[in-house]
Amino acid sequence: MEITFTINDEERTVDATPDQRLLDLIREDLGLTGTKEGCGKGECGVCTVIMDGEPVTSCLVLAPQADGAEIETIENLAEGDDLHPLQESFVENGAVQCGFCIPGMIMTAKQLLQEERNPDRDRIRQALAGNICRCTGYDKIIDAVEDAAQKMSGGEA
Amino acid sequence: MVDYFEELHKVEHWLDLNSIDELRSISVSGEEVRIGSMVTHSELETNPTIKELLPLLSQSAAEVGSWQIRSRATVGGNVVTASPAGDTLAPLMAHDARFVAASTEGRREIKAEDFFTGPKQNALRPGELLTEIVLPRPQAGKSRLCYWEKVGKRNAVIISSVTIAVELKISEDGKIEKARPCYGAVAPTPVLIQSAAEFLQDKNLIDVDESQAGELVAEEVSPIDDIRGTEEYRRQVSRDLTIRALRYFRREWEGDS
Repeated sequence: MEITFTINDEERTVDATPDQRLLDLIREDLGLTGTKEGCGKGECGVCTVIMDGEPVTSCLVLAPQADGAEIETIENLAEGDDLHPLQESFVENGAVQCGFCIPGMIMTAKQLLQEERNPDRDRIRQALAGNICRCTGYDKIIDAVEDAAQKMSGGEA
Repeated sequence: MVDYFEELHKVEHWLDLNSIDELRSISVSGEEVRIGSMVTHSELETNPTIKELLPLLSQSAAEVGSWQIRSRATVGGNVVTASPAGDTLAPLMAHDARFVAASTEGRREIKAEDFFTGPKQNALRPGELLTEIVLPRPQAGKSRLCYWEKVGKRNAVIISSVTIAVELKISEDGKIEKARPCYGAVAPTPVLIQSAAEFLQDKNLIDVDESQAGELVAEEVSPIDDIRGTEEYRRQVSRDLTIRALRYFRREWEGDS
């Protein structure tokens, strides 16, 4: 079946099967491999993308359900070598070790900062509860999101 | 979907209900709140009407899974799955929910107490679709107290070991006019504990012996041992949560009057 949606500000029309996962459509058909697959059960958050203004685990969305939707993936954040403030803050804070969970972390954090300019640490933890990291111990990730919030709200350019 | 991709069962036809707008609406009249079965947990969590009128439902929805899950997971899905540990189920029961089942034969309403028939079993007949949840709208000026708590092995993204959802209606002079003490994950279905409801009925809130109420609950629940807690643990937690809820109600009541 043919579906049309917007991904990273670009309208795409593709053929999808009824039981195809949005995750596979994004990675295999569109070649956007920044979005990772972890558990495949909606538990780890690695495959998080933003769909119509909400973070979703793309392993639990069927591709046909994306018809008409607006989707954003990690590829949309940097402009050339200019990193998004979240990406910059993750680098500066050493919030990345193996890096596998980071695309999902950043997409969830991005939607949080879209909705709230200055979330406190508890709020950040709560928002990121569905993104599991097995390396860092989370503190530096929370630091990075706090820093990015500050940069984005104009505390520091 | 997870079961399908793990090849636990086959799906011959997929049907997406998301584009039926009627199933996604929340409407309030003088008497009732009606919630479409495809309303998401995120919507229940943030919708100001639900927060105000159905606080147990809103608070419990906020503790389901993760943000990503709440964005997609629907209240109808939580209901028809009928897991004894479904977090919104005891709250729906405490708020006196009725479920609307529709088929080509017509529509019927099923009370929450009659809907859940066993672990992951419900009263829907073949060909019936859960379209709506109907709840009485709390009347302005009437005192009502609500208490929700979820206990699990972690604070987030966890299947509950025990949940409690209690709604009390209180008369002006502090008498309990109606009590709906409901629990999840402590019986084959979410349950309203009758013995505790009867015990609380018509008592003055400030005179209630909360330990006695807790014992009644611990006796009437019928939990199992599993990886989320033993039977004994669940009975104790059910008792302790009951005591905590009643103490909270008393503090709230005394603070108000």
